[in-house]
Amino acid sequence: MADMTPTAPTRPRSLVVASAFGTGAVLAYFGGLFGIYFSIRADAMAWGTQWFPEGAIELAPGGMNMATMAVSAITMGWAVHSVLKDDRVHAYLALALTAVMGIAMVNQTAFYIADIGLPIDTSQATTLMFVIVGSHLVMVSVGVLWLGLLLLRALGGQDTSRHRDLVSAAALYWYAVNAIYAVIWVGIYIAK
Amino acid sequence: MTTTDSDASGTAVEEAITSTDPVTLSKVWGMGGMTAVLVGLVAGLLVSLERLDLEGAGIFGSGDELFQFWSAHRVALVLLGVLPILVALGTTIVPRQCGANTLLFPRAAALACWTWLIGAGMTVVGFLVDGGLGTPDGGGQRQATALTLMGLLLVIGGLMVATMCILSTILSGRAAGMGLGDIPYLSWTTLIAGTIWLGMLPVLAANAVLAYVDLRGRPAVRFGAEDAIWEQLSWVFTHPAIYLLALPVLGIALDVISSATGSEPANRGVLLVATAAFGFLSFGAYAQSFFDTPGTPIMEETIYVLAAFAIVPVAFVVLGGVLDLLRRGGSDLGSKPPASVVLSLIAILLIVAGTVLGALRVVAPWDLLETSVTGAHFTLVVGAAVIGAVAGLNHWGEDLLGSPGFPGLMLLGGLAASLGVVLISAADVVSGFLGQADFTGVDLATAGYPDSGTGALNAVSTVGAAAFLVAGLIWMVAGIRHLAVDSAGAG
Repeated sequence: MADMTPTAPTRPRSLVVASAFGTGAVLAYFGGLFGIYFSIRADAMAWGTQWFPEGAIELAPGGMNMATMAVSAITMGWAVHSVLKDDRVHAYLALALTAVMGIAMVNQTAFYIADIGLPIDTSQATTLMFVIVGSHLVMVSVGVLWLGLLLLRALGGQDTSRHRDLVSAAALYWYAVNAIYAVIWVGIYIAK
Repeated sequence: MTTTDSDASGTAVEEAITSTDPVTLSKVWGMGGMTAVLVGLVAGLLVSLERLDLEGAGIFGSGDELFQFWSAHRVALVLLGVLPILVALGTTIVPRQCGANTLLFPRAAALACWTWLIGAGMTVVGFLVDGGLGTPDGGGQRQATALTLMGLLLVIGGLMVATMCILSTILSGRAAGMGLGDIPYLSWTTLIAGTIWLGMLPVLAANAVLAYVDLRGRPAVRFGAEDAIWEQLSWVFTHPAIYLLALPVLGIALDVISSATGSEPANRGVLLVATAAFGFLSFGAYAQSFFDTPGTPIMEETIYVLAAFAIVPVAFVVLGGVLDLLRRGGSDLGSKPPASVVLSLIAILLIVAGTVLGALRVVAPWDLLETSVTGAHFTLVVGAAVIGAVAGLNHWGEDLLGSPGFPGLMLLGGLAASLGVVLISAADVVSGFLGQADFTGVDLATAGYPDSGTGALNAVSTVGAAAFLVAGLIWMVAGIRHLAVDSAGAG
């Protein structure tokens, strides 16, 4: 009997390619914002101008968020691995945990922003911070919705090693979410 | 499996709106883009007429109103006009060139198309209701400016998603055995240009989001101030970003002339590298003068000046490829070459002229950056892009609509457009050397106290703007008649 194993696709997988373009566009968007932020900040520092009000930005909330995101990157990798191995139970767990981490990150950030009570129009620094952090929250929320869709597909038995493109695409996006937060963490929360 | 979700019982409008057929989407992109080009040309003519009298506001009530139309002219031509027409070609022609069954992600492509159309409508309305992208004296309506920015964001979003669909099709959907080096020039240049667009348009979106957030609900801190918005966004309408519009036109010209002469360029590899270099030299998201810090302004930095000069030989290499094609197969064209060949050749020549002018513009001792030389440069490059895109629509018109269309009208329009572009840019170059500002406003102080000779030159430029508008009207008539023939044939 002939071997019925499907042959590997000869072209890059379209979902992953499209996701790579989309993720690249998101990175370019944040690249633009970071470029503006660091340019104006460097200028302010050179003139000895205060950037954020004293004590307004604390290290701990940003650090906690970074830790949450770092853990979510690991669970996302776990999800991809589980789908590749057709391990449905672990795929459920990993996808759900990653989504929960994302929701926790949104919750922590929203709480922190409300807690510091810094008006958005205090200065250029606060306007930029709110735009960058807010855009990242949108990005995380889109990722959480995507993970929810993946979870539904996994429950329906559609996330398998033969149909893993959507999981791979989501993982690519989620790693970009992490990378961007790392820049936010270092550039805004640590460097202030 | 079909890519068209049309319901046989639906009306024509329902079918058009719900269709994911690439040809239908291309019609929307193409006609929408041509309409926007027409809007942009009308705005350009009005601005030109106002410029005839630099000592008073004859047509517009104030410098702010003039500025709204001046900026609308550039936005309409670039983001609402040329880019969508290139997307129209990319949606239908590129997949066929690559041997793909259809455009990948057709529903996303449909979403992109309608998002762009709604955004384009919002942008135009925003400009018309005293909004636009800011004004020098802060005389615009804030809510209308916010509407324009929101429209612009939708436009950018639509263009980006459509580009992603086209690029994914080229990379993942092309025929087995066809390498990237084998794809036709339009597909190749679209791949390069699309990749760079996906690097630049999000940065433009970031600028727009920043301005929008700062504008809404409270006095702006800086980014949303009326007199600051345009300066943050203007980098996309000038060197080097503006060249990206011309890149697919290079591909169109090479494909059209290659097809008409029945010959292949001898140096294909060189042309592929040259067009890729043209694309990478067009990346302009860094050139944001609004965020200049103390020190050398970005427009005098080495990278900016170097890009302006480096792109000139690259453009000449592509011109050399085109001339080589004509040398080897030109005799097959006969005494009456096809309209698409003539228009392609004109577009290439204008692009080369544009790159040379772009290099002259950045020569520091001449101090031309803020003068009307910048406007002349914009007109040359965008005019070339419009003419080249029309050449593409004419060449692949049968693929798009099933009939060859009206090449005579397209050629007539193209010649009128060429005359217009040459008159506008020649007059504005000389005016720029005489000290006339890019945006003249309605008084001599804003116009930079130019020499008296600019009056006659501005009249010449106005004649050019009128010729370009006539060309737009001729193309629109040709397009509508072509669509009517197509509808009658389908009926």
